[in-house]
Amino acid sequence: MGELQTKERVLSIQNLIIKFKLRGQVLTAIRDISLDLYKGECLAIVGESGSGKSVLVKSIMGLLDKNGYIDQGQILYQNMDLAQFTTEKDWLKIRGKEIAMVTQDPMTSLNPLKTIGKQIEECVVLHQGLKGKSAYEETLKLLRDVGIHDVEKRYKQYPHEFSGGMRQRIVIAIAIACNPKILICDEPTTALDVTIQAQILQLLTNLQKKYGLTTIFITHDLGVVAKVADCIAVMYAGDIIEVGKTEEVFFDGKHPYTWALISSLPQLGTKGDQLYSIKGTPPNLFKEVKGDAFAPRNQFALEIDFVERPPFFKVSETHYARTWLLDPRAPKVELPKALQAFFEEGRRLANEK
Amino acid sequence: MGIYTKEISNISDKSSEQLFQFAVSDDHQAEETAYSNYSYWQSTWKSFLKNRVAVFLLALVLIIVFFTLLQPYLPGQKSPTEIYLDEQTGSQARNIAPGSEFWFGTNSIGQDLWSRIWAGTRTSLLIGFVVALVEVVVGIAIGAMWGFSRKLEAPITQVYYIVENIPTTIVLILMSYILRPSISTIIIAMCITGWVEMARFIRNQIVILRDREYNLASKCLGTPSYRIILKNLLPYLISIIMLRMSLAIPFAIGSEVFLTYIGLGLPVSEPSLGNLINEGRVLMMSPDLRYQLFFPSIVLSVITIAFYIIGNAFADAADPKNHV
Amino acid sequence: MLKYIGKRLLQSVFTLFVIVTIVFLLLRLMPEEGYLGAAADKMSPEQQEIYLTNLGLRDPILVQLGNFYTNLISGDFGKSITYRQDVPVLDIIADKFMYSVSFGLGAVALSLIIGVPLGILMAQMKGRWLDRLGTGYIVFVVAVPAMVYYLIIQMYITEIFDLPMLFDEYDPISWVLPLISLALAPTASYAMWMRRYMVDELNRDYIKLARAKGVKERTLMFKHVLRNAFIPLAQYLPATILFTIAGSIYVESLYSIPGMGGLLVDAIQRQDNNVVQGLVLVFSSLGIIGLILGDLAMALVDPRIKLGKGESVR
Repeated sequence: MGELQTKERVLSIQNLIIKFKLRGQVLTAIRDISLDLYKGECLAIVGESGSGKSVLVKSIMGLLDKNGYIDQGQILYQNMDLAQFTTEKDWLKIRGKEIAMVTQDPMTSLNPLKTIGKQIEECVVLHQGLKGKSAYEETLKLLRDVGIHDVEKRYKQYPHEFSGGMRQRIVIAIAIACNPKILICDEPTTALDVTIQAQILQLLTNLQKKYGLTTIFITHDLGVVAKVADCIAVMYAGDIIEVGKTEEVFFDGKHPYTWALISSLPQLGTKGDQLYSIKGTPPNLFKEVKGDAFAPRNQFALEIDFVERPPFFKVSETHYARTWLLDPRAPKVELPKALQAFFEEGRRLANEK
Repeated sequence: MGIYTKEISNISDKSSEQLFQFAVSDDHQAEETAYSNYSYWQSTWKSFLKNRVAVFLLALVLIIVFFTLLQPYLPGQKSPTEIYLDEQTGSQARNIAPGSEFWFGTNSIGQDLWSRIWAGTRTSLLIGFVVALVEVVVGIAIGAMWGFSRKLEAPITQVYYIVENIPTTIVLILMSYILRPSISTIIIAMCITGWVEMARFIRNQIVILRDREYNLASKCLGTPSYRIILKNLLPYLISIIMLRMSLAIPFAIGSEVFLTYIGLGLPVSEPSLGNLINEGRVLMMSPDLRYQLFFPSIVLSVITIAFYIIGNAFADAADPKNHV
Repeated sequence: MLKYIGKRLLQSVFTLFVIVTIVFLLLRLMPEEGYLGAAADKMSPEQQEIYLTNLGLRDPILVQLGNFYTNLISGDFGKSITYRQDVPVLDIIADKFMYSVSFGLGAVALSLIIGVPLGILMAQMKGRWLDRLGTGYIVFVVAVPAMVYYLIIQMYITEIFDLPMLFDEYDPISWVLPLISLALAPTASYAMWMRRYMVDELNRDYIKLARAKGVKERTLMFKHVLRNAFIPLAQYLPATILFTIAGSIYVESLYSIPGMGGLLVDAIQRQDNNVVQGLVLVFSSLGIIGLILGDLAMALVDPRIKLGKGESVR
């Protein structure tokens, strides 16, 4: 645990509130989030659709939709507060150069009329300051890095001549070409076949090591998280409800929502039993959320969950959870059998390592 | 991670033991969603109302339509076709400037321009509405067959390619040339070319929508075809139909002006905006008589612009993407 | 590539053939006085009958059609009846052709030069005053019948700038107003389309990625959006020359330009069937050529279209 303190903090989000104007109403998409990102770490932000994962990272790059705005809070990066940025000139200092992004859908993310080589080279020229021949060479190198063969020929091809997995490699190459400090991967495998998913994940982990990148991974797939992430932040209804190292959250989760997420993994079901699913739906973000947003769907909900928002309770130096169940006054909770077994097995495996 | 203790101190003084008991679970509350109270037509209407110009023009068009219908029955109106004589000389009251007797003046043979303009507007609007209506009905019928029937698809496509290749203007001229001018023949000539665009539009929309996942899903769930058309396709198409209709009206009115100009329009005894403008055009070289060109031109411009803007505003409003 | 062009040409020849046939059959429905010309009043009904029979108009329709094809192939469009008696239609049209084509192409070129940049600027300044001004112009030109503003131009602009009211081949300044008038409508269409396509493209995912990689907004506009937005426009470009037909009919007769549009009006007013028929055929052929060129241009610019496969109903 001690090593973490010495780690350098790269990005720090403090008390961030993001709102959207929609049909005359105001929707709070991010409700008072604080989050730190350390150098070289791979952070996974997990949550179901609509929990605000994408909004959070878009705000880091200044790519919020026009009707969205930062209401309060700071996004600190290298002595700059990105939350205060308004002009394009400001953001150009960040986008690509410092923080790059791998987008969700490779099928639509590439310009259909430019060769993929040119699209990568554009970044090389823009952010690495190379020109002409050397930019071309660097582009070929990047193509090789992301596992593309026959690079001279591929350089001249258009996006429609590539398959989905290949295109995602190109998108990754574009992000790497920017030479960023932080790489944001917004559900990079959601649109891909399962077999391709594994390849892309492997590629991303390799590149992360090779280039020493700090990575933010957004996903709703816990399997992906387990493979790549060092740390996990679990989001629910625009709030981070639990954060910690991967094994801490995975095998010693404290928030009932984390339990519910893990319980719904198909691997945990027993044959013949009904698969666990979280009952109900996420709350309406147009209304002000009172107490714990998950309370109405929580079978372990306490009375106080409907009244007061839980604070972050400290579980370990790196592990925090926002649930009243960790309060000394709270009653003890008996976890479902399957979950208990999973936690124990996980901890045993982790110790063996 | 940072330590977040602010809220802990905040809460500890007012918290009591009973708050830390399990709550009674309430399934109903868990299901409560209501993301937003969205209704398509309501949002469409609301967005439309936001466009003040379009709302104003809609009111204006309604007033004009109402007035053209009412005008002949108002007291003190003159006949649009009667040739008025000068009381003193007994000759035709030609080219009298606008005044208290003739509000918009008279034309070159002594007819009252004010009542002619409203009669003309009536004719032009009639042509516009009928053509737009026929266009929409025929266009939808053919477009729907084209989009839904696999058997008819190929032949209609062939016909379409041929019709599309002949410039609309030429067909219009040819048809009017063959059919000798009258209101009904002008309408027929315009309808012959008008349906094509509409049919193509409907067909493309149907093909796109037909294969969308949500319709595929409906089909898989055993929803009968008519229900898919009624519930999934039609509401979407209505906005497009409204747009096409409101654009067809200015186009039809403009075509009438065009046909009149090249000598294939209505006879002079039948006042229409095209006729009036053409009469005014002949006199435009003498600045004193230009009012005969201006008045019909202004009425014409107001009507066509109004329909065009209303149509576009409605199409914008009907697009769910704009319901933010 | 050659195969595609060949196939496309063959298809067009077929379409043209069908159109020619339809036009011919329709023209048989034309008022028969149109074949008699000025002599009609002097002839008794029997004489008229004999005259029409001599022209071959009483032959079975298939025979007429056969004769029509053979004449067409040998370049014979018939003779003018009333416009310029007994002069071959083709000669009359040939005289006029160059004027119409120069004005048509000139107007399209002018409207491209003005319309496309206008559309780009409007998309860039969406919602600001230039966009509003441009939209106002587009609405006016598209909605209001061309006659109205052509007349305003001829009436007032000639007065204000002291420009000639009629066309004179040898006076270059007299080309200006007809050209501008003719360019008004296509300028509005190009600006409108360009703006719409640009705005559409700007909402696409690849633009988001380009933004995320730190491309400047200006570079984004010119290097990414512009070309993509221009493609749909490029396809319609040759066909838009046809837009100018309706305009040319007005403009040519208003300014007395000896072109095909003015000729059409004259021929209709004098009921000269053969000239009308010839002009309809010429205009239709131009239309078809425009469409082919459009498809070819599209295939050349867009790498996604594999030649020969890019067929769809537009």
